[in-house]
Amino acid sequence: MDIAIKFAFDILAFTSVMVLIVLGLGVIASMMGIFNFAHGELVLLGAYTVYLSDEAGLGGWPGVIAAPIVVGAVGLALERTVIRRFYANPIIAMLGTYALGLMIREIVRGLLGGHYKSIPEPMGGVFGIGGLEFSVWRTFIIVVTMLVIAGSWLLLSRTSIGLKVRGALENPALARACGISTDLVYSLTFAFGAALAGLAGALIVPLYQLSADIGIRFLVQSFLSVMLGGVGTFEGPVLGAAAVGAMAAGLPWIVLPVLADPLVFVLALAVVRMRPQGFIAAGRI
Amino acid sequence: MDAATSLAPATAKRRGRAFRVLPGVELITLAALVAAPFLLADRPELVTLMTNILILSLLAISFDLCWGYSGIMSFGQALFFGVSSYVIALVGRDLDFSQLWATLPLAMLVGFLLSGLMAAFLLLGRRTPTSIFVAFGTLTGAYAAERLVAGWQYVGAGNGLSSIKLMAFGSTEFVEGPAFYSIALGILVAVFALSRWLVRSQLGLVLAGMRQNEERLAFFGYRVQAFRALVFSVAGAIAGLSGALYAYHQGFTGPSNLGPGLSTTAVIYCLFGGSGTLIGPVLGTAAIEGISFVLSDTDAVRQFWPVILGFVLLIVVMFQPTGLLGLVVSTRERIGSYAGRRR
Repeated sequence: MDIAIKFAFDILAFTSVMVLIVLGLGVIASMMGIFNFAHGELVLLGAYTVYLSDEAGLGGWPGVIAAPIVVGAVGLALERTVIRRFYANPIIAMLGTYALGLMIREIVRGLLGGHYKSIPEPMGGVFGIGGLEFSVWRTFIIVVTMLVIAGSWLLLSRTSIGLKVRGALENPALARACGISTDLVYSLTFAFGAALAGLAGALIVPLYQLSADIGIRFLVQSFLSVMLGGVGTFEGPVLGAAAVGAMAAGLPWIVLPVLADPLVFVLALAVVRMRPQGFIAAGRI
Repeated sequence: MDAATSLAPATAKRRGRAFRVLPGVELITLAALVAAPFLLADRPELVTLMTNILILSLLAISFDLCWGYSGIMSFGQALFFGVSSYVIALVGRDLDFSQLWATLPLAMLVGFLLSGLMAAFLLLGRRTPTSIFVAFGTLTGAYAAERLVAGWQYVGAGNGLSSIKLMAFGSTEFVEGPAFYSIALGILVAVFALSRWLVRSQLGLVLAGMRQNEERLAFFGYRVQAFRALVFSVAGAIAGLSGALYAYHQGFTGPSNLGPGLSTTAVIYCLFGGSGTLIGPVLGTAAIEGISFVLSDTDAVRQFWPVILGFVLLIVVMFQPTGLLGLVVSTRERIGSYAGRRR
């Protein structure tokens, strides 16, 4: 029983990270119809921000708080200069964002000198409930993820900004006719997605060592989560991430670890092939 | 001389047989490739580089068939490339066999079957998949395969397989050098000729129609996805052949030969040179590998080579989607003409 609870906790923590990354990716995919191949590198930039603040002797906290802001700003700049040229053609957008991601990744790799850096948890230690010990930082990740999901949902469904965003998603031409600047909505959406990626990067970097490839490992899984959950919805990607995250964390216990990883991909791909609209069909935010 | 041509040669040229750049580019490239080993006889490392370019050109051509001709954004060409290279390495290691008349066709068969399977899964079926799904499918396939191979002891896990048995014909073994170069060139010319015939045939006309208006072609009764699957499988066979030659030439294969990294490098070769032209990918491969070779002497640049590569890709997709060849070849010529229907 104890092991089962620990196991469930680990899956929950991992899934939370996935949800954070996928939420950003899913928001961008739903709004602009492009899949951002540079998303993993935005995660990396978030992680790198924490590393910088740690190096500067400030500890991890300023980095964790700055990461979403910094990466959101980077996302805004990228959208304004490059990404918006690709909205007309989602396939070309994949190539363009891949190129951006490659550049960011390799520059950071150069800055890190190819080394792995470990960063201490800003809030270390464990706490116990009924004889079981839980990592404080992982709990913090879970709580933050819950807050982000709730906050995003409230923002989308209860505020006038959210109404504009939903309008631009539902019918961009009509939204423009109503005086909503879809350009601005797209810019802000992209920045918001980037900020979520940055936050995710900042939260996971103490768990994994910082290397240039920290974002890549989540990228393919995140794409599959978005497709699995359904593009154009809010709940979809969250559910998809939960499914993929649980599979990725749980399968190694059932089959050989070597097989588990590719199996997750194949299973997810097969489900998407059978049900292209995802778990939740579009238009229900 | 009739009235039309005497009036204005320029308009006649435009109206009738337009001046063609592509055959000229193809001939010059061929001449340069044939002359290269003689000109570079005293620089063996350059012959090795050129052989590499020839082999990778095959991979770039296979991607061009997918993207430039049938609109499949394949992030998985390296999967067929890599699996074939592993098959070749294992046949050499476990069966002690490396006769090229058998292993190269085997590599093509492996590439063909694997890509055929993938095409059947991704493309065929009652529901027509979106192009984004297909792109992700190929990406995921390559990524999953890389992870699988990187953790599989039998195929050398993360270290890959080295000291692959040399390619042989009878009792002659081929190490890198002019002989290997000639074989690679012969294969490249054959594959190029075959692909060129394929995309200029009636089948090529169907592919051109698909690029123009897929829905309309479907209403005409063409099974669009079946054509896609066919071209994808042929491209897979070419990628497999390329992988086998690469493994023999390098004497090594590893998980990175299977993954999205090499796949996207093939994308860059093709787009940089000019997709949808067949010769563009060859030139793109030569240009990028050539520059990479020149720059690799400088430490500071070598470290940031991937950044440069990313920058090149970004510039190409943003400002010059038709690649280098787009600068000299007209759109009309790129779209091409097609063989008449046989009566």
